Amino acid sequence: MTVEAKIAAAAATTVTSGATATEHALAPEVPATGTASDPLWYQDAVIYELHIKAYADANGDGIGDFRGLTERLDHVQSLGVNTIWLLPFYPSPQRDDGYDVADYEDVHPSYGTLDDFRAFVVEAHRRGLRVITELVMNHTSDQHPWFQAARRAPKGSPERDFYVWSDDNTLYSGTRIIFTDTEKSNWTWDEVAQQYFWHRFFSHQPDLNFDNPAVLEAVLKTMEFWLEMGVDGFRLDAIPYLIERDGTSNENLRETHTVIKQIRARIEAHYPGRLLLAEANMWPEDVREYFGDGDECQMAYHFPLMPRMYMAIAQEDRHPIVEILAQTPEIPDNCQWAIFLRNHDELTLEMVTSKERDYMYRMYASDARARINLGIRRRLAPLLENDRARIELMNGLLLSMPGTPVLYYGDEIGMGDNIFLGDRDGVRTPMQWTSDRNGGFSRADPQRLYLPPIQDPIYGFEALNVEAQSREPSSLMNWTKRLLAVRSGSQAFGRGRFTMLHPGNRKVLAYVREHGDDVILCVFNVSRAAQPVELALEAYKGRVPVEMLGRNAFPTIGDHFYMMTLPAYGFFWFRLDAHAAPPQWHVERLGVEDLPVLVLFDGLNSFFRSKAVPWRMGMAEKTRNQFERELLPRFMLRQRWYAAKNEPLTRATMSAHGVLGSQAAPWLLALVDTQGPAEPARYFVPLVLAFGDNDEDRVRELTALAVTRVREQATMGVLADAMGDAPFCRALVEAIGAGRDLPGEGGTLHFRPTEAFTEVVGDTLAQPTAVHRLTTSSNSITLLGDRLFLKAYRRLQAGVSTEVEMGRFLTDVAGYKHAVPVAGSVEFVAKDGAVWVLALLQAQVANQGDAWNYTVDQLARLLEAQRSSEDDTRADVEAMAGRVQLLARRVAELHVALGQRSGIAAFDPERVTAADLKAWSAGVRAECQHTLALLPARAATLSEPLAALAGRVASAGPAIEARIAEAARIAPVGVKTRLHGDLHLQQVLVVQDDFLIIDFEGEPQRTLDERRAKHSALRDVAGMLRSFDYVRHTALQQSAQGAIEYERLAPIARQWERRMRQAFVDAYREVAVAGGLYPGNDAFDAARPLLDLFEFEKALYELRYEIDNRPDWVGVPLAGIAELAGVGE
Amino acid sequence: MEKIDVMLVPVRGFLTEIGNFLPRLGVALAVLLIGWLLAKAFRFSVVKALRALNFHILTQRAGIDAFLKQGGTDKDTTDWIGLIGYALVLLASLIIAFNSLGLTQVTDLLTRVLLFVPRVLVAVLVLVFGGYFSRFIANAVQRYFKAAGISDAELLGRLVRYAVMTFVLLLAIDHLDIGGGLIQKTFLILLAGVVFALALAFGLGARARAAELIERWFPPNPSDRMR
Repeated sequence: MTVEAKIAAAAATTVTSGATATEHALAPEVPATGTASDPLWYQDAVIYELHIKAYADANGDGIGDFRGLTERLDHVQSLGVNTIWLLPFYPSPQRDDGYDVADYEDVHPSYGTLDDFRAFVVEAHRRGLRVITELVMNHTSDQHPWFQAARRAPKGSPERDFYVWSDDNTLYSGTRIIFTDTEKSNWTWDEVAQQYFWHRFFSHQPDLNFDNPAVLEAVLKTMEFWLEMGVDGFRLDAIPYLIERDGTSNENLRETHTVIKQIRARIEAHYPGRLLLAEANMWPEDVREYFGDGDECQMAYHFPLMPRMYMAIAQEDRHPIVEILAQTPEIPDNCQWAIFLRNHDELTLEMVTSKERDYMYRMYASDARARINLGIRRRLAPLLENDRARIELMNGLLLSMPGTPVLYYGDEIGMGDNIFLGDRDGVRTPMQWTSDRNGGFSRADPQRLYLPPIQDPIYGFEALNVEAQSREPSSLMNWTKRLLAVRSGSQAFGRGRFTMLHPGNRKVLAYVREHGDDVILCVFNVSRAAQPVELALEAYKGRVPVEMLGRNAFPTIGDHFYMMTLPAYGFFWFRLDAHAAPPQWHVERLGVEDLPVLVLFDGLNSFFRSKAVPWRMGMAEKTRNQFERELLPRFMLRQRWYAAKNEPLTRATMSAHGVLGSQAAPWLLALVDTQGPAEPARYFVPLVLAFGDNDEDRVRELTALAVTRVREQATMGVLADAMGDAPFCRALVEAIGAGRDLPGEGGTLHFRPTEAFTEVVGDTLAQPTAVHRLTTSSNSITLLGDRLFLKAYRRLQAGVSTEVEMGRFLTDVAGYKHAVPVAGSVEFVAKDGAVWVLALLQAQVANQGDAWNYTVDQLARLLEAQRSSEDDTRADVEAMAGRVQLLARRVAELHVALGQRSGIAAFDPERVTAADLKAWSAGVRAECQHTLALLPARAATLSEPLAALAGRVASAGPAIEARIAEAARIAPVGVKTRLHGDLHLQQVLVVQDDFLIIDFEGEPQRTLDERRAKHSALRDVAGMLRSFDYVRHTALQQSAQGAIEYERLAPIARQWERRMRQAFVDAYREVAVAGGLYPGNDAFDAARPLLDLFEFEKALYELRYEIDNRPDWVGVPLAGIAELAGVGE
Repeated sequence: MEKIDVMLVPVRGFLTEIGNFLPRLGVALAVLLIGWLLAKAFRFSVVKALRALNFHILTQRAGIDAFLKQGGTDKDTTDWIGLIGYALVLLASLIIAFNSLGLTQVTDLLTRVLLFVPRVLVAVLVLVFGGYFSRFIANAVQRYFKAAGISDAELLGRLVRYAVMTFVLLLAIDHLDIGGGLIQKTFLILLAGVVFALALAFGLGARARAAELIERWFPPNPSDRMR
């Protein structure tokens, strides 16, 4: 994003909403479109074509005008387009809808004055909208003073020489007639001049003589006139016909290009960055010439593409589009195609074969009245039989194809047409704003309107208008806005390289747009039935497709075809994100052929010198070296649970291990020490060896988790993570149940059941049990059947596991019902006495997902409903507040349970002392200083608004420390108890409309001693409150399309969060006071600075985490800290 | 007095003999002590060396240790080899001791025992390597037949293993020189018995199947049939 863009965006913010500066910093970044100085702005543009007379009538004369348009600019801006293309608005006899210009430097009196125009341009620019006007330079009206002077001036005079005259009407006889319906010749006899004048279009539109330098000079003067007014570009009408030469077709002549180059050079010299858009209804290879070497027009229409898009969905075959795009030549880097679905003219079929034309007429214009010249005079919606799916599909195609899309006014609401009107007036009827008189277009009497508005029952203004659609969340207009907002989020649509994919299913069109690291995959089903498709996306292996409208991640792209199913006329735009996380339920499956092969000679013994026969000892060492230096590190780096992914991992040493199972089918429970990362760590890696000869199904299952393929003599197999191996998981549970001790190398494996083992396990082991793996960031979880939940800890810490300890206490001692019962654990006791907890067995609880997703979904739904309406949301918010209160009660009940005196020293509560308060406050202050010191160094990597926010937070250090110090000054209140330690919404399951608290591991980055220490339970409350802040930002990111919408929805989300926080704290206080944790409400309220302190602590922790792991999210904790410190605004 | 002298001569002689014998006994005892210490040290180093060379892994894989365990001993093959080494050194020291005492017949007997011990050692080694080899061959055969899709691959592998093991056992016994002729004859009888049993089985019980196989392997010449 350029600086200008940021300024422009900031300017836009000031007019749109009451969002705070902080929220602005968190708004999604929008690529540079519509910036003042970007010379390539037109490549990112979305053009909205409109007719002044048809858009809005302010003076009530029945004809639209500039004042009316200016009043409606908010609608244009809200659509998400950024450029307006005005059809001719010059004084004209209006015999060709204004393309017969009678005065180049004025405004048609029906449309207003030059001042009105100037005011319109200023207002448009203020909204970040650019303005393109028509420059009809090939011809004028026969009413133009130049022509009147020419016909009266003598032959050969400079005045006469402004036009093309001849005494002979057979000159240029090789030239085709364009308007075959009305014109018989390109020459027309002028009685006054007594000569024939040349016209390529209507006989009242004499062509200017560009062989005369004075003509070019006059046209340039006209251009400068409008450029001075602030116009950002011109559409050059009928550009191929400027010059005539006998014996040629008089189209696309070299001399014509010379004229265009002169025009471009003049504009570039004095008005850099202004656009020339060529209208040349030609084949792409001919149009290519109008780009020159980047020194003629910057843009030109791609005419043949448009009918082929219609043809593709009519034939239900992508071929027409693929074919025309294959024939489209490369254009200079600074140029761009202009593409469209419909415009003010007929849907031209000049660029199709006669057979194709017949087909198109049959499909789209069975009523002969809909045909005109060589085309079809209908709007988008009637052409597609008002089929919403097809309209969306066509818009999806238009907005993602290579080029700058042009939308025709009214098509955003699916306006209809009137084929009973003459010429192409049927598609130029008044814009339908409301269901009022004349569709809100004009207050004039209906009979005074320049054309009658559409009034039929389907497309009539009473049924179909902007007002109605703006209030209907799922209307075509709101959908179009969303799609445009999505498009504005990526420059790949405008500037990206285009690569066509060729999936086997010909009814599916797929292509990739690439701009730097931004890769967008577009897939369209052009048929009326659902279609499967296999896409060859190997080049993007490892990227995660994120559906752009819903921002939903799809499984990672692997080696094989990417399978997808599209509904009838459905389409998807995916961002192929290199950094996004795949869906949680997705299991990474590496292609078998990608795995290296390790040669074993004696199963798992091959790794251990001490277990190899004498002549294999050397080989065992070599095998182990290869495994520990190459294969295991590569495997670990792929795993989500491996923490130090950004640091080199030189060796993963199996420093201790135990063996479970028989000699014939052993499982290796290895404790692996990492070497390479700055902070060495110990991981638990259970391994299973399976050979294809014995059990092909098992090998296939395990391939997804394979560390490596293995070969032993002629048998192939895999060495894999045993957590996905059903027999291993069962063996582990059996060993826990039996309370076995297994001596291993470096220590002993202890399998320990709890009292609840029998009850929890039930008959799970009595029958074959299906296993299902879940992946989380730090552990591996395997579900056995529907009763057991086996969690393998991956990154190990020596010492008693808080989770096991807390689980036993809550299940056996406290009898707390809203935590999951623990059934047992696996520990490795090293020879030096150190205890390493490897796995935990718990009951599996059928749930409706975690409270995080539940809460984000609730808020996102609420925000999405607010996107297009402003309905009262209080009932929804209060319903959610009720749920949050229940959650708060469950948390408070947990704290009450942990606060009871049981005689177990590790759990008995202790009074909070003044020394505790001081120590906690000092600890957070130290963390604060350390964290804020990180900010200046990281600011350079942040976006500008985020860097500004970081700067503000960093400079607010003293204010933050003052707030932190407040906690040390309060009177000690409440008790210190054991607590959850890492409580947030993801640690809560929604179970039968109630909540269940899980994962008592504590904050993974803290030491075990810190996690086991008694502390104020308010720390858990603070964690939960911070979680609501994250919900707010996540839901906003999910629902708001584009910065403007983000700014609009941000205050609603902020209010929601405040209400949830309040609901949580109130309900928590009620139960905590009743449970005796606090003597009364006042005592709880007096401890409020302590809650703030812990919120600071949590936010600082989050900030450090985000800086290291997710820089894009740094804004959330930063904003939280700023708000807590009172420097948020 | 003379009588006493006469009576004392044998005593003197006896004492002289004792006087002569005692140092030799002392030497013999010293030799035994040193031999015992050496034997212990030898056993220790042999066991350590064999374990360092993973000889115990070899004997485990050969199935000898499991066999010994079944026999009720806690010692594995390596321990037994250590014990044999221990016995060897102890026997050598006993021979030297008895030799120094002039007990040649005992020495001869012990020498014969001593010369037999290395044979035992070699026989053990033959068993160990043979046992490992038999398992290796059996695994290879099993894998091969499994890959070839033969359902009884495991049985065939086991048959091969027992066949090799029988051969190795006979080799070891032969090496110990215990009933060589008898063993040779027993082996031949066993082999002939197996071949005869197979021939009978093939000729009688599986005649039709044999015909089928022969038909498949050597199809009749179509031109012959024409004639």
